[in-house]
Amino acid sequence: MAADERELVRRCLARDDRAYRELVRAYQTPVVNLAWRITGNPDDAAEVAQETFIRVLRSLHTYDPDRPLRSWLFKIASNLALDLIRRRKRRPIALEDLSDEDGPAVEAVDPGPGPEEGLRLEWAEERFQALVAELPEHYRAILHLRYREEFSYEEIAETLGIPLGTVKVRLHRAHENLRRKLTAREPRRGTMP
Amino acid sequence: MKTNLTCAACRSELTALVDGAIHPAVARAILSHVESCAGCRERLEAHRLIAEHVRRLPSIEAPAWLEDRVVAAVTRPARVRRLARRAAALALAASFAITAGLLAIYPKLAAQYGLPTPGTAFSRAIGGVIDLLVAVPKQVAAEISFYGPFARQVWAAFHTLGALPRAALVVLQSPESQIAGAFLLTLGVAIFWILRPSRNERGIGHACLAL
Repeated sequence: MAADERELVRRCLARDDRAYRELVRAYQTPVVNLAWRITGNPDDAAEVAQETFIRVLRSLHTYDPDRPLRSWLFKIASNLALDLIRRRKRRPIALEDLSDEDGPAVEAVDPGPGPEEGLRLEWAEERFQALVAELPEHYRAILHLRYREEFSYEEIAETLGIPLGTVKVRLHRAHENLRRKLTAREPRRGTMP
Repeated sequence: MKTNLTCAACRSELTALVDGAIHPAVARAILSHVESCAGCRERLEAHRLIAEHVRRLPSIEAPAWLEDRVVAAVTRPARVRRLARRAAALALAASFAITAGLLAIYPKLAAQYGLPTPGTAFSRAIGGVIDLLVAVPKQVAAEISFYGPFARQVWAAFHTLGALPRAALVVLQSPESQIAGAFLLTLGVAIFWILRPSRNERGIGHACLAL
C-alpha cells in the first residue's frame, strides 16, 4: 500500500470529510465500471458504487493496511454487484440504452481505436460489447478485472474470493465462450479467427 | 514440424500465455508448438484480439452525485448528533423562557380566571410533597407490621434454639421464609449476573469492579 494511500486512510479514520471525498474521487470511476460490467445497468452500478463506498468508509477501522485498498474496494463492489444480480435475476441491458436521453445521468466514454487499427476492430466492436454482455456475470467480472484493471491472477483470486486455479479456468472459459460466438456469428468478416 | 505438445494441451494454456501468467519454460514450449501449428496459431491470435477488445470496451463516468451522497451518508450520524444537541439546548432555553414568562404573568392570570393565588398554589404544592413524604413511611410501616410476626419468629428461633442450622430449618418451614429465600436467591443471581466480569471491557461489570 502506497504511503499516500496510507495517509488517506489515516485521515478518513480521523473523520476528515475532505479525505472521504478524495477517496471516493480516486476510486469512483473504476468501481462504477466494475459494477456496470457485472450488473449491465448504469443505475444499478451507481447504486452499488454508493453502497460500496459507504461500507468501506464505515468499516475502514477493520481494513488491513498491508492489503491494497483497490482490491478491498473491488471485492466489496463485486460482491454487492453479484448479490444484486442474484436478487434481481435481470438480464443486463444493451449498451445502446446508454444513449437514451431520458436515461440515467451517466455518459459512455469510448476511448476509440487508434488510427492504424481502426479497420481491424471495426467489425467486432459493436458485436463484441453485446457478446460480453451475454456472458455470465462472474465471467464479465473476471474479464473486467484482468483486462480493464490489469489485475494479476492472484489479485483477481483475492478480490473475488476464489482459488487461483478457478481464476485461470474461468478466464479461459470466458475467452473460449467469446471466441466460439465470434467465429460462429462472423465466419467470413473481419480478422477474428 | 510440430512439437510433442498436443493441440488440446496447447489450447488450454493460450489464455494464460496471452496474460503472461505462465511459466517461461511452458510458454516456450507452447510458442514452439504454435509456430508449427496453424490452428493453434489462429486461436492464439483470437485470444490476443479478445483481450485487446475487452481492454477497449467503453466505460462510463461515475454520476456527479455519488461523492456528495456517500459523504452525506457517512457523516450523517455526527451531523444528527450535533443537530440533536442543538435542538435539546433550544428546547431547554425555550422551556425556561416559557416557565419564566408564565411565572411572571401567573398572578394576573390567576386573578382573571379565578385560579388559586400564588400563595395558595405554593402551600398546596408543599402540602402535596408532605403527603407524599408521609405516605411512603406509612406504607413501609404497614409492610413491617405485616411481616412483623415472621421477623419475630426468626428472632425467637435464633434466641431460643441457639443454633443456626436448627433456626434455619424452622424458618424455612414457613411459606414466608421460603418466599424470602427464593427472592434473595434470585436477587443474588441477578447481582452476580450484572457484576460478573465480561469480555466487554465497557460492560457494567467492569465499571462496577473498577469502582
